[in-house]
Amino acid sequence: MEKEKLRELKKLIASRLTRPMRYYLDTCTRCGLCYDSCHAYYGIPKKEYSPVGRAEVVRRAVKKHFRPSGRLFPYWGDATALDERVMDEMKEAAFSCTGCRRCMMYCPFGIDMPYILGIAKVLLIGYGNAPEELVMLADAAVEKGRSIDEFKEGFRSVIGDMELEVQKRLGLPSADDLIPMEKKNADVLFVGLSGAHSIIHPAVIFNAAKENWTLSFFEAVNFGMFAGDPEKMQFIADRVVNEAKALGVKEVVIVECGTAYRIPKFLLGPLPFKVTSIAEKIHQYLAEGRIRVKEGAIAEPLTYHDPCQLGRNAGVFEEPREILGRLAADYREMSPTREYNWCCGGGGGLVALDNEEFRIKTGKAKKDQIDATGAKIVVSACENCILQLNTIKDGYGLDVEVKSLSELVAENLVV
Amino acid sequence: MSDEIKVDVKMDLKGLACPLPVVKVSQQVKKMKVGEVLEAETTDPGAHADFPAWAKSSGNEIVKTVKEEKSAKFYIKKLK
Amino acid sequence: MWNDIYYFIMVPMVYIAFATFALGILFKFAVVAFSPGIKGKLGAYPRRLPRPLGVAKDAFAVPVAFRKSKVFWFFIVAYHISFALLVIGHLELIDEFAALQIIPHQVFLGAGWVGIVLMVSTLYFLFRRFRYPYNGISIPEDYLILILLFFSLFFGSHMNLASRHLDFMFDVSKMREYLQSLIALRPVLPEDIVSSYHNIMLALHVLFANLFLMLFPFGKMVHSVFAFCTLNLKRK
Repeated sequence: MEKEKLRELKKLIASRLTRPMRYYLDTCTRCGLCYDSCHAYYGIPKKEYSPVGRAEVVRRAVKKHFRPSGRLFPYWGDATALDERVMDEMKEAAFSCTGCRRCMMYCPFGIDMPYILGIAKVLLIGYGNAPEELVMLADAAVEKGRSIDEFKEGFRSVIGDMELEVQKRLGLPSADDLIPMEKKNADVLFVGLSGAHSIIHPAVIFNAAKENWTLSFFEAVNFGMFAGDPEKMQFIADRVVNEAKALGVKEVVIVECGTAYRIPKFLLGPLPFKVTSIAEKIHQYLAEGRIRVKEGAIAEPLTYHDPCQLGRNAGVFEEPREILGRLAADYREMSPTREYNWCCGGGGGLVALDNEEFRIKTGKAKKDQIDATGAKIVVSACENCILQLNTIKDGYGLDVEVKSLSELVAENLVV
Repeated sequence: MSDEIKVDVKMDLKGLACPLPVVKVSQQVKKMKVGEVLEAETTDPGAHADFPAWAKSSGNEIVKTVKEEKSAKFYIKKLK
Repeated sequence: MWNDIYYFIMVPMVYIAFATFALGILFKFAVVAFSPGIKGKLGAYPRRLPRPLGVAKDAFAVPVAFRKSKVFWFFIVAYHISFALLVIGHLELIDEFAALQIIPHQVFLGAGWVGIVLMVSTLYFLFRRFRYPYNGISIPEDYLILILLFFSLFFGSHMNLASRHLDFMFDVSKMREYLQSLIALRPVLPEDIVSSYHNIMLALHVLFANLFLMLFPFGKMVHSVFAFCTLNLKRK
């Protein structure tokens, strides 16, 4: 590798050497307890897909370039200089990881392995080797934030169609203002995704609950995070933060998208509004009696897939279960479940990449889990998971239906 | 009018979940020659903001947008 | 020449080892202290206990290992408890601490078992690393640390056992004289130690312990401190 390039990459590593990163890099004893905790390893059992195997790729390079011991005694710490081969290893490690942090549950020190892979991701961006789909999507999202005024009209033009759909579902006399936009001082700013379903189902629920809400111009998903670019991640997240501040809302409700929820909830620092997931919001409406669902309306066996970012990474375990407990006559828990639930294999932006074969293989843990429940309906509360669950379903020919939580609630509302 | 535009490639992206429409369009445009036009049909409401934003960030141009009853057609001209 | 080597190990090298250890740890802490913090939170769920209790439980009871492998868990816990007792034992070798003699005992708690438990655990950790899949993730440092530790334990434990069960009179007061002189920076090697039957064994024990101490701050042994930081982050 050229000296100039190497210097640039070392700077990138340095930019990510935060205090937690130091702890995470130093503390691992390579005890191997995490070894088989990764769904990718379950599907493709090779060392490179074990959490410790992934982290070591980064750790070796940091030792070589940032540790006196790594410079003086590279053999003992297996310190390895950055070169083309190492960059390839970094790519394989970072973009086969969904950031689900299941391995963190199996680490006696609670090391956040995907956080370590943050180094690999910035290096890949600096090396020009990051997955171009993710970089492209992040760039588009940034551009949308910069020039949102140019795109508002186009987006508005399709809201009317969706309002008609909401009107039909709720049997209302008028479609006016069923999906309000740019409503000042609304209680809730809802951030959806690009797909109509991600807006229509929540809109049905918000209207049924008579919520004072407004729809964001932006999509909740953050490709800056997936690509591993801290600046773009921040910019993309700030689009919604600024929108919420400008409108003066009290609460931002995030669509079923795990990462989109975890970022404002935990990664941005204190914000002047509350951040809630739509699953929590639906649960709140049900508890307060603002909406009602047809109790036990779903007779077929149903199971719930905990989205990693919503479950173990954000603590939303009970709400979806209580909602489904009302709707389903035959609710079945997966095993293992909750914080130990297997990742579906779609997170971390992996569903946006051209890697279907890999995702089917690494979705085997999920497939086995679904099989074991005997469920006919698999519900989740994350768009990424739902996409991947459908890939698993088609890949293995599973006889199940994949549904989102808000879709299920919207379909079974008592209106 | 769409008949004024010579379409080189057509893509049906109806029903695809986020973020696949933009990904597929981007991949397709990459394969095309400069000056060629792609017609992409999608049902995503978000595409009305996402496609223009993508075009702007990637240096391509949306020459026309036609809204149909349930979907929309974007005519994307490859500029570089 | 052998006398010079002996002296080197027993006096200058001990100073070098402790200086390396202390400066290394200071360096490590300084690096961490000057690294930027983050504004977000990296915690995970669920959290059934208040943070300090949860961290203590995760650190001392190692529930993660318990769930995965009872054997490994047993050795982890046995090893770390014994290690703590060993540290206490060495403190008593420096001076008499009334607080440590609440339960009266001959110096070195555990009637010789502590060293044996540690040796067996260390061998377990070592041989575990030779097996698949752990051989694939182990690096030279992992073996080196365990080997140094094993040898140090082997000789130390031997002296302890010999002084309990054999004729060898392990004179605690002579050891205190030696160690206190080191601390006072006026090093004296008492003749009784130099001419004892176990003088070589003691030198080897000190040699391996010196090497272990010198490596301590620069490798994974810092988990002894940082584990609390990472476990705290997990619950933050």
